Amino acid sequence: MTRAALITLAILAVGFVAAPFLLGGYELNVLMVALLYVILAVGLNLATGYCGQFSFAQGAFYGIGGYTAGILSRDVGTGFWMNLPAGIVVTGLFGLALGLPALRLKGHFLAIVTIAVQTLVYLGLVQWNSLTGGQNGLAVPPIGETTLFGVRLFEVSSLRDLYWVALVMAAVFVFVAWRLVHSRLGREWVAVREDETLAGAVGLNTTFAKLTAFVASAAFAGGAGVLNAHAMQGVTPDDFQIWISCMVVAMMVVGGRGTFMGPILGAIALTILPELTGELARYKMLIFGVLLVVCVTVAPEGALGRIRKARENREQAASTPAPAKDPSEASA
Amino acid sequence: MSDPILSVEGVVKRFAGVTAVDGAGLSVGAGEIVGLIGPNGSGKSTMVNMVTGEMPADSGTFRFEGRDITALPAWRRARLGMARSFQMLRLFGSLSVEDNLLLARHISMKRSMWESVLGARPAREEEEAVRARARELLGWFDLAPFADRKVTALSIGQQRMVELARGVIADPRLFVLDEPAAGLSPPNVDRLIALIRRMRDEFGISILLVEHDMRVVRDLCDRVVVLDSGTKIAEGPPAAVTQDPVVVEAYIGRGWKRRAQA
Repeated sequence: MTRAALITLAILAVGFVAAPFLLGGYELNVLMVALLYVILAVGLNLATGYCGQFSFAQGAFYGIGGYTAGILSRDVGTGFWMNLPAGIVVTGLFGLALGLPALRLKGHFLAIVTIAVQTLVYLGLVQWNSLTGGQNGLAVPPIGETTLFGVRLFEVSSLRDLYWVALVMAAVFVFVAWRLVHSRLGREWVAVREDETLAGAVGLNTTFAKLTAFVASAAFAGGAGVLNAHAMQGVTPDDFQIWISCMVVAMMVVGGRGTFMGPILGAIALTILPELTGELARYKMLIFGVLLVVCVTVAPEGALGRIRKARENREQAASTPAPAKDPSEASA
Repeated sequence: MSDPILSVEGVVKRFAGVTAVDGAGLSVGAGEIVGLIGPNGSGKSTMVNMVTGEMPADSGTFRFEGRDITALPAWRRARLGMARSFQMLRLFGSLSVEDNLLLARHISMKRSMWESVLGARPAREEEEAVRARARELLGWFDLAPFADRKVTALSIGQQRMVELARGVIADPRLFVLDEPAAGLSPPNVDRLIALIRRMRDEFGISILLVEHDMRVVRDLCDRVVVLDSGTKIAEGPPAAVTQDPVVVEAYIGRGWKRRAQA
């Protein structure tokens, strides 16, 4: 899997790097949105795919990141490069707060709580006028000029520049996700997903594992939210409704939760496909809903999960004579 | 002799009016293999789950190497040096055999989690060393060819062996085995007996063994504790305990003697 994943990643990287030289503004904008969703889906996959904690609140964290940028820009006057780490930290803390109920709740009950959190955040954004600007939202300045100690480094002014920022950010987040899931921490997340009782019995701190998964998952959304806010030059509550969360869940599930590439490919495919269908794009959410239901019913492991399973079955079929040589086989 | 590895006193556990364990206690000395037996429903599994911390006791004290562990959750007890196997096999199903062992060794890895996330060299070297140790142990359990295999692809007998290897790799001082012979064929039971004895002799692991198979109990245990209805009804060497009329009565029921004489 690792090698196949690296090859796929390399192909994607070449495609995304070549895109600005080949495509027009509209297509580039679609790809930039796809990159934002890649960050969201890859982040959600950490908590849900690897650690097994279902969440329908990724859209809320996306919003919290965006509003952190908006509020800081308005009240403190900071720019994108200060808002980005701030948004990641603030959203990570909200993720920690969502992780707390997850310590006691499992499965559907946890999912319901995350839906409640998603709804509460939306209502908070709408109602807390003085802080969030209510239904009208906030204006956020563009990224603009970037200076370091008064020296002008570069300027992000065009869509093309923004696209490059999104691409670099997505690459960094994907790399961080790669490191996380291939570390001891990621292995402990999987252990919690597979069998929490056993994870405890071998001495793993399951509380720590779950909380770190939620924090990481939210922090990814926070980062994407900050970029989105500066790219759109504004945030409104309606951009962060539960539909966004559902869409991110659909991307992750259809691509294959718990696989590394699945959510990446899912996010790209489900962002681009509606753009290709023209008139049908109006029914985007309906199609995603049907897709999600079909996927969960027919292939709950998602597209890549399905491929992985098929490969494992092949490998096992190829090696069936081997276990028979073992003396303990008689016991099966 | 210093403190026993494990000492349990006056344990009570009630489930909705049923008293599963009623004031029982037991101890395991260093290097000892202690059997915990009793008829079905006598409270053995409940006792084991309270010893390892999966289930809280209503009252009673648990000491591990002299230290009061009554209030500690399972993962903390594991970190003190307590490993266990489960009556119903428990393994991390989607992971390889080697990764299953690796996870049980996380507790004694010295490098921080963050070094591992950053991929720092010391963390990588440490993990390599643990992987090497895992493969060595798998050889010990005749599982070497299956290190990279997904654990659920193995036979039940092999999975039981993975569970034992998982316990041993943590370098525990006490290994609690909950019916390790369940579902094993007779030749595999022989192998199991030899392996458990070697775990004690070569690694110095003390063992608390819950088992229905009396052959395993007779062959392995230095001492046996018999539970019935949640209380300890007998304790002693296996040969003596299995002859004890109180024990026989608990297993077979009252009146067997009269009928046998008639």
